[in-house]
Amino acid sequence: MPERTMTQNIATDEDKLVALASIAAELHAVMEVAYGVSLAAKNAKVISAQAGDKGLGFQPITDFIDEISQLAINGVNHINENALTLSKIAVHEQRSYDAYQRFSSVISKHKKAKYVASLDPAMLRVETHMIDSFKDFKKSMNDLFLLLEEMNEHMLSARAIASVSRIVTSDAQEFRNKLEVVASNLDNAAVFIKDKVSDSYKHLNRVKTLTREHA
Amino acid sequence: MKVTKIYDANHQWFMFGRDPEKPESIIDTNQYMIVAGERALLMDPGGIEVFAPMLGAILHHAKADQITDLFASHQDPDIISSLGLWDQALPQARLHAPWIWEGFIRHFGMNNIEYVGIPDEGSTINLGSIELQLIPAHYLHASGNYHVYDPVGKILMSGDVGAALESPEGPIFVDDFNEHIPRMKMFHQRWMPSNRAKNDWIRRVRELDIEYMAPQHGRIFKGDDVQNFLDWFEQLDVGTAIASEE
Repeated sequence: MPERTMTQNIATDEDKLVALASIAAELHAVMEVAYGVSLAAKNAKVISAQAGDKGLGFQPITDFIDEISQLAINGVNHINENALTLSKIAVHEQRSYDAYQRFSSVISKHKKAKYVASLDPAMLRVETHMIDSFKDFKKSMNDLFLLLEEMNEHMLSARAIASVSRIVTSDAQEFRNKLEVVASNLDNAAVFIKDKVSDSYKHLNRVKTLTREHA
Repeated sequence: MKVTKIYDANHQWFMFGRDPEKPESIIDTNQYMIVAGERALLMDPGGIEVFAPMLGAILHHAKADQITDLFASHQDPDIISSLGLWDQALPQARLHAPWIWEGFIRHFGMNNIEYVGIPDEGSTINLGSIELQLIPAHYLHASGNYHVYDPVGKILMSGDVGAALESPEGPIFVDDFNEHIPRMKMFHQRWMPSNRAKNDWIRRVRELDIEYMAPQHGRIFKGDDVQNFLDWFEQLDVGTAIASEE
């Protein structure tokens, strides 16, 4: 084990938990925006249907917007589940580490105790649990990086769709203003979500750094 | 952690307490262990802060895997907040604790140890060579509360009943009952909420043959001082925080 004090390690674990909770907080705001986009997409569908032939070019776009908002909602749910799993693993890891430190202190202070060796199996179990938890944590952390990357790509697509929809709406005459508002909302939402994903990335990188320090 | 063997025959009773390394800000606690052949029972094993000194002290007298059973008289942190650590040290053990507190006690962390809920009317713990009685002590002070009676050793582990606010240097046994009263009086008046519960417990305990009464804080009563305590407790008005407001 590394030469770190128990206080330092517990502080590291607490920092990790705070960073993971911060990801969940960032994504809470994303979820609200994603629901807003989903609602806007449904409105846009109605608008394009009302536009009849003039809105035909816009219908595939509204389908895309709806799809993107659903991907964002599902993505946020997956990211939240993953962040929760990471928090649980971090708590288990911290508990195991706490037990490890206390068992170590008993073994070191009571070397002459008649039955001190009877603590060895418990020590081994805790060590194994710590190693397993660490592996699980790293795997879940990598999964979370991938999910954030995926979300980022969805938002890039959303911005591209928003640009295309502006061109399409320019031919939609009397519905132009309404549809431009939808395109604009989509673009703003994509920018907002991208920022939040970027902040989540920073929090997760902090977790990664702390995990490396802890290892 | 100071260890005192208070009974030594076919089975042994150990008292752990008066830990000089204990942080000053936490209340001093007495932990007890019965070793009966290849099995051992830990009673009110204590808080997180005393876990390491407790485990270290135990390993001078028993093997870790010899501790097959734990007992928690009630749910307080000074009684059982070390559970999450015992859970990792003794994953095969069973915890005997009030059924009413299970959902609360599990908050201390329990993934391996088996919870054996004690019914309201009490129960027993069989350690193979000895059977211990779990005596109801509800509302003294917790709403689900038990004491452990050893009919062979004639010892009653009495949880918070008989407790005293004691310095870590205090003696293990009560040597002058009257002189000891001021250390117990406020504790019982303030922590024990019900005269009815108190009298019910006294009636039941008077039927037991007790040589030692071993509380979770303070000093152990022996011989005549057990009866002295029961008489004193019987006349004491408890639940005074409410009375003082009336």
